[in-house]
Amino acid sequence: MVGMLQKIVFIFFMLLMLALTYYSVYNLQELYVTTTYVFVKYAVMLVFFFTMLIVIRYLFLMFFSILQLIKRTADYDRALRTTDVVTVIVPAYNEEDVIVYSIKSLIEQTYPNIEIIVIDDGSKDNTYQLAKTFEFEEDNRSLKVLSKSNAGKSRALNYAIEHAKGNLICTVDADSRLDPYAIEMLVQHFADPQIAAVAGSVAVVNQDSFLTKLQALEYIQGLNMVKNAQAYVKLVNIIPGPLGMFRRDAMKKVGYYAHDTFAEDCDLTLALIAHGYKIEFESDAIAYTEAPDNLLDLLKQRYRWTRGILQAIKKNRSFLWRPISNPSISLVMWYMLFEAIFWPFMQIWGNVFMIVLALSTGVSQFLVYWWVIFTVLDIVGAMYCLLITRENLTLSLYAIVYRIAFISVINIAKIFATIEEWFHIEMGWGKLKRKGSIK
Amino acid sequence: MNLLSFLSMLILAITLLTMIFGVIAYFLYKTREKKKKMDSLTYEEALAQEKKELLFFEKG
Repeated sequence: MVGMLQKIVFIFFMLLMLALTYYSVYNLQELYVTTTYVFVKYAVMLVFFFTMLIVIRYLFLMFFSILQLIKRTADYDRALRTTDVVTVIVPAYNEEDVIVYSIKSLIEQTYPNIEIIVIDDGSKDNTYQLAKTFEFEEDNRSLKVLSKSNAGKSRALNYAIEHAKGNLICTVDADSRLDPYAIEMLVQHFADPQIAAVAGSVAVVNQDSFLTKLQALEYIQGLNMVKNAQAYVKLVNIIPGPLGMFRRDAMKKVGYYAHDTFAEDCDLTLALIAHGYKIEFESDAIAYTEAPDNLLDLLKQRYRWTRGILQAIKKNRSFLWRPISNPSISLVMWYMLFEAIFWPFMQIWGNVFMIVLALSTGVSQFLVYWWVIFTVLDIVGAMYCLLITRENLTLSLYAIVYRIAFISVINIAKIFATIEEWFHIEMGWGKLKRKGSIK
Repeated sequence: MNLLSFLSMLILAITLLTMIFGVIAYFLYKTREKKKKMDSLTYEEALAQEKKELLFFEKG
């Protein structure tokens, strides 16, 4: 009975969304026809243009994401691979608050052949000592802790790979706790020799504030819509820091992690795609991670991500112009460029234009219609992702403020980061202080 | 005032305030990072940065 009621409420909700969209589009068109202001006509056209772009983006991503879901269901009964030796590398720098929980989750993995390497990158706290207490060696499983002077994450990862025995390399952030089946789920994809890497799924563990709930929604949408869609064509563009697995031979071919960008994971993924490899995504391999719980820390994280991605794009920019000789990498690069630069600039420029127009002409109705159309799309997109992940549907309500407040603030930081990257302004790694929420 | 006019005003105000807030938040973040960087400098690093022979500290 309750289930039936839920379905009826859901259908009514979707009809309401449809009606709201129709109302907004109809009134926007009326506004266009009746107004005498040329700039208001431009504003309406702008709203339609933006809406068209975002609708096309949503439709493409949702379409491929659904296809990927169908494909996954069809592949469900494949035999389990357990013979590959997996080396799990955990780079750690000043992680004493979280390292224990991360290591415990690795020891509890169901996959039998695991070598765990914790690489302490010259921590100034007790990270090394804490990790050292977990060292062990059994038949097919071991954990060792290495230490080196501080030289950055990419160098720490490469150092650990030199000491690794596995033909599959799994990288895990020290502030992440893995689901017990995570490694097992990732390994299965490597039956296909074309697959060079598999991205894991990331879930926000500290969903206890407004800001972290918005980030949880962002992660759920980003993974289940964007990454799932990319996985259909096996062109996932970024292996996330919290969880990813690589084929060692493929890494060797592209020279392992490079040290010249702040997004070593993105840079490595692009290099693999450029070499003709395929990159997968496994939605059931979950890493639980701590999201920044205050705005300035969030901006710090996004600032580093944006500049890192821009550095990786800049480094590989020649691939933008190879749509014939290497269409895969060219497509991925254009998509990244759109998401990293075009979209934030367009969204903020659109906002400024609307504000100026509303203040100068007194017509601000199109802002409502714009917001309604975008928010309906965001809510429906969020609901789709929440339904397929069986997450709490109430999270979709956060989509109401998602674009108007959250994304705008993030995009402003992205724009500043882009400008600073353009002018080569010096930047640091910008490590976040852990709160220990992953326990 | 009808609902549409009220919503128009509300969304206009939210959009405007978010834009201002976003810019302020970004500069607050930059200021915090700059301050953090200065606080964590050792005497030798500060000396190298200043490129002077001597550094003078004011008594706090």
